[in-house]
Amino acid sequence: MAHEVELQTAGNMWKVLVKPGDAVKAGDTLFIMEVMKMEVPHEAPADGIVSAVNVSEGEEGLDAGFVAVVID
Amino acid sequence: MLEVLKPGLETSIQDWPGRQGYLKFGFPWSGPMDDWSFRLANVLVGNPVGAAGLECQFIGPTLRFQRDGVFAVTGADMQPKLDGQPVPMWTSTAVKAGQTLELAFAKVGARAYLAVAGGITNEVFFGSRSTFHKGGIGGMGGHAIKAGQVLPVGDGRGQAGRRAKEASRPVIVTDKRWSVEVCRGPNDDWVDEAGHERFLATDWKLSAKSDRGGFRLEGPDWTFTDKAYNKPPEHGSEPGNIVDHGYPLGAINLAGQTPIILVKDWPDGGGFINPYTVPGCAFWKLGQSKPGETYRFSVVSVKDAQARAREITALCNESSIEQA
Repeated sequence: MAHEVELQTAGNMWKVLVKPGDAVKAGDTLFIMEVMKMEVPHEAPADGIVSAVNVSEGEEGLDAGFVAVVID
Repeated sequence: MLEVLKPGLETSIQDWPGRQGYLKFGFPWSGPMDDWSFRLANVLVGNPVGAAGLECQFIGPTLRFQRDGVFAVTGADMQPKLDGQPVPMWTSTAVKAGQTLELAFAKVGARAYLAVAGGITNEVFFGSRSTFHKGGIGGMGGHAIKAGQVLPVGDGRGQAGRRAKEASRPVIVTDKRWSVEVCRGPNDDWVDEAGHERFLATDWKLSAKSDRGGFRLEGPDWTFTDKAYNKPPEHGSEPGNIVDHGYPLGAINLAGQTPIILVKDWPDGGGFINPYTVPGCAFWKLGQSKPGETYRFSVVSVKDAQARAREITALCNESSIEQA
């Protein structure tokens, strides 16, 4: 079952730590957003293989709720 | 009592108008960024408008009520849920001991305000319960709330089913573009005419490198009058340097070429010029804007800005309440 990882906050994409094809475990950090001088890490909800990464480092003005990473 | 299960993103206790009267010791006012939504939240639950509540930014907290009460959430739409059931924003809601209130991400706007009947009654420091993170004072131990903490709540007799009229609420933009009032000065005579025109014709982008002390703006470079160049050396070497002076709340502080709007936890002095100042009546807009959104500034007189602030204050009372 695919897990969609949505942005938890509006803000900028500071670091993207995975790429399609990567194997991840539940709790691994997938990417880190930046908002109001704070880092907001987003973690994998489940074990799996990253099938899509829809964000890139340095993107600005992202909206909460956008599907950033898909894990199959 | 409110138990913090998840703290959210630097959720902090704030009261209004905050810690006034201590600037001489270096303590800014603090208080809610959007004091319009904040005050309405208190009106909804029957509190004095300034009673301490929670400012929730971007990602809201999850809280368990340890006794029966009444709460209201205003400001940014954080899709509040009580024991998993959606509850309306801008409306007072009854809660039973043991129930859990969950705020999600800010769908529209940036900051939500939670008021609880009786108000949060953490320790008063220099006349205010507001959190000033950088000074490590106010709030719970001087910082944002943390998981496991229990926030004290006073006695209050709020009523459920009270709603803030739509016409009395701030209108949070959904197209990422804000129109924000500014007053000229105090150092507008350091910027040349081209600089002023450029400032007022630019969509300034709010940087993610912003916090409750300052909102950093991205845009074109500034140009200056002779005054900025032909000055005694004690002013400093950059055109925007000036002998250290006091910074007003809302000052658009020109740090080199980067304008920074000084907001509620602001540094009260320094050696940069402040060509414009955002008046209090426009602060709610700053509080509800997200990084990447833009500001277009328009000049208003101090008199008009004060009149607008009085209009907003007049909305923060019983006249804005209807039965839900």
